[in-house]
Amino acid sequence: MLSRLPYRVQIPLGLSLAVVLAALLVTAVAAQIFARTARTETLATVDRAAQLLSAQSLPLLAADDIWRVFALLRNTAALLPGASTGQARAAVLDTEGRIFASSQPQLLKTASALMGQPINGITLPSPAKVTQRLRIDRPDGSMALLEPIRSEDGQVLGFTYIEVDAPVFAADWAALSQPALIGVGLAAFILLPAGWWIGRQMTAPVLSVASVIERLGREEPATLKQQLPHTEDRELGRISAAVEQLISEMQVRQQAERRALSAERMAAVGRITAAVAHEINNPLAGLLTATQTLSVHGGSEETRTRTLDLLRRGLNQIQTTVAALLPQARVEDRALEIDDFADVVTLAHPDVSHRNVKLTTAVDVESAIRAPSAALRQVMLNMLLNGVSAAGEPGAVHAELRADADRVTFSVAHGGKTLTAKALHSTLAAESGDDPRGFGLWVCREIATQYGGGFAVDETHLQGTRLVFWIPNRETHEEPVVD
Amino acid sequence: MDRRRLLKGTAVLTAAPGLALAQERLRIGLTAVILADQAAFLARWADYLSQRLDTRVTFVSRDQYQAVHDLLFNGQIDAAWTCGYPFVRFQSQLQLVAVPLYQGQPTYQSYLIRPLGDTSVTGWSALAGKVFAYSDPLSNSGWLVAQGEFARAGIGQRDLKRAFFAHGHRNVADAVASRLADAGSIDGYVWETMKLQGMAGASQTEVIWKSRLHGFPPLVATTGAGPARIEALRRSLLDMQKDDAGRALLKSLNLDGFIAGQVGLFDSIRQLARSVPGSGVST
Repeated sequence: MLSRLPYRVQIPLGLSLAVVLAALLVTAVAAQIFARTARTETLATVDRAAQLLSAQSLPLLAADDIWRVFALLRNTAALLPGASTGQARAAVLDTEGRIFASSQPQLLKTASALMGQPINGITLPSPAKVTQRLRIDRPDGSMALLEPIRSEDGQVLGFTYIEVDAPVFAADWAALSQPALIGVGLAAFILLPAGWWIGRQMTAPVLSVASVIERLGREEPATLKQQLPHTEDRELGRISAAVEQLISEMQVRQQAERRALSAERMAAVGRITAAVAHEINNPLAGLLTATQTLSVHGGSEETRTRTLDLLRRGLNQIQTTVAALLPQARVEDRALEIDDFADVVTLAHPDVSHRNVKLTTAVDVESAIRAPSAALRQVMLNMLLNGVSAAGEPGAVHAELRADADRVTFSVAHGGKTLTAKALHSTLAAESGDDPRGFGLWVCREIATQYGGGFAVDETHLQGTRLVFWIPNRETHEEPVVD
Repeated sequence: MDRRRLLKGTAVLTAAPGLALAQERLRIGLTAVILADQAAFLARWADYLSQRLDTRVTFVSRDQYQAVHDLLFNGQIDAAWTCGYPFVRFQSQLQLVAVPLYQGQPTYQSYLIRPLGDTSVTGWSALAGKVFAYSDPLSNSGWLVAQGEFARAGIGQRDLKRAFFAHGHRNVADAVASRLADAGSIDGYVWETMKLQGMAGASQTEVIWKSRLHGFPPLVATTGAGPARIEALRRSLLDMQKDDAGRALLKSLNLDGFIAGQVGLFDSIRQLARSVPGSGVST
C-alpha cells in the first residue's frame, strides 16, 4: 500500500511510521521487563512477609492465641500484592499442618488440615518434610510458600503459609500500557512532524530532479540546468550529474538540428532560385532571337507585328511564372491557343538550330482548348528543350499537341537515349534535389499533379524516348467532369 | 471509623489542662464490657468526672479482665468497670460502686451469634465440630454463660473443633463475622451498641440465642478503698443523668444512667458459676 503512494509522501510517511513503530516496540519491551520485575518483586515481598509472620507468630503460637495470630495475619497479609482483591492470603499452621489462623478464614478455615492435602492440583508436603522454606510454583502460575516456625532451640511450633494466585503475577497490560501510550503519544506529537519535515527535506531534491526531467524538451535546457538541485549527497549528486549531462547533450543536438535546418532551408531557397531561373531562362533565348529578328527585319510591318506579339507572349509567360511564385498573387491566365504552340517552337528554335536537331511538330485539336496557357507553354517549352537536349547530334525531335474534350496532351519524342519509367522516377527525384538542369521535367510533373493530370514515359515507344504530359481540358476553376 | 480505632493494651490517660486538682488523681480500669476504645469519648468523660470530683480522673484500659483485676487488687487503680462474673468470684474483696442502667434496667443478656446467613449453626447443640470464640475467661456473657449452655446441650469442650478467646466482645463479633469462628458468645449490650454504631462485626453476624437477664457489668472497688472517694465517684456516676453533659456521655455509652445497685442483682451469675466446674465460685 505504501508503494502506491507518491514518493513525496512515501518517505515522510515511512519515517513517521518508523517513529511510531519504534515507540511501540520500546513500550512493549519495557512492559515485558516491567512484568518480569514485578514478579520478582512480588516473590521478594512474599519472602519478607513470611519472615515477618514466622517471627511475630512464634510467641503467639506458644500462647495458643488464635485471635492475636489472626490479627497479625490480617495486618501482614494486607502487605501482600493481590491481598486487596483477595488473590493473596496467609496462614499460620500448627505442628500437624492444620490451620491455626488465616487471613481469609472463609477460604482457609480454622483448624482444617492443609499440609498433606491437595491444593489447586498439587498436594502440599506433610509437616515432617518441610524443614526449611519451600516455594511451590504451580502450573497455573500461582505460587505457595511454606516456612517452619521454630523456637529458639529449633523446635518446630508451626508453619507460615502464604499463597498468591496467578493473576497477581500476570502483567496488568492496561495499567502498563496507559503511561506507555501517553509517552508514545507525546513522542509522536513531537517526532511525527519532525519525521514528516525531514522526509520532505529528503524528497525535495529528488522531486526537483523529477520536475526537471518532466520538462525536458519543453523548456530551455539552460533554465532546466539552473533548476537542478546541487547537493552533497553522493547518490543524488550522481543523478543530478547524469541529468545535467543529458541536458548538455540535448543542447548540442538541438544546435546541430538548427544548423541542419538552416542549411536545408538555404538549399531549398537555392533550388527554388535555380528553378525560377531555369523557367525564366528558357524563353529568354527565343525572346532574344526575336529581338534580333526585329532588329534585322523590323522594317516589315508584318514581321514587326508578329515579333512583337511573340515578345509580348514570352514576357507574359515569364510574368506568369514569376507571379506563380508569389503566394498571394492571383494569376489571371487565358486558355491555350494554337499560336502558343508556335511560340514555343519559335522560342526553342535557337537550341534546335544550335544542336543540329531536326524538329517536327504535329497539332491535333479536336475540341476547343480550355486549359491554361501559361502552364502549358511552360511545360511544352521545358519538354521541347529537354527533348532537343536529349536527342543527340544530329538528332530528331517530334513534338505533338493533341486536345479533345477531356484532356490536352503534349508529347515529345526523340531518338536519343532511352529513358525508362524507373529512370524518369529517379531523375525526377534527383531533379527535385541538386541538378538545376533537371528542373524542367520536375516542373512538368509538378504542374501535371497540380492540374490533376500526369507526366510519364511512353514505354510503348520503341526507339529513343517519348515523354507524355496530359491534363484535363478545362479551366482551373472548373470542377472535374464526372463520368 | 477513626473514632472506633482500637487502643489495645494501652492506658488512656486524660486530664483537663489547667484544672485545679486538690487531691490525688482517681484511676478507673476499663475492660471489654464497654466499647471503651474511643479516646475522645474517654477524654470527655474523664474531664466530666474530674470537674465533679475535684480530682484528676484517668481511665486505664486492658483487654483482659484478669489484668484489670490485677491492677485493682494491687492498688494501681481505684475502681474498675468489670463483669458480674469476676464480681461474684472475688466478691469478698470487692464492693459495688455503681451498676449501669441499660434500656432502663440494670441487666443485660448474653448472645450466641453466627455469621450472617450461615444456617449450619442453629443453636448450642449444633456447635459440635465447630470453631467457637469466647470473649474472656472472666466474662459472664463471653464465657460463663456459654459453659452453662454447652453443659446443658451436652457438648464438652473436646466436642468443639477449636475454641479460643478473642480478648473482648467486639473481637468475638469480628472473629465470627470473618468466619475465623463458626459462632461466638458475646455481651448482648456490646453487640447491640456495635449494631447501633454500624460496626461490621455486628452487621455481618446474627443472634441465634439470647440468655436470661443477668446483672449488668458493674463498677467495683476493693473493699479497702477510701470510702469518701468511692462515694464521691458513685455520686458523680449516679448524677450523670441529671445534667446535659452527663446525658450526652451516657448516650455515647448507649446507657440510661447508673444506680447504686445491690449484690443480689448478680445472684443469677453466682448460680450459674456454681454450676460450672472450675468457675472459681464455690457453693
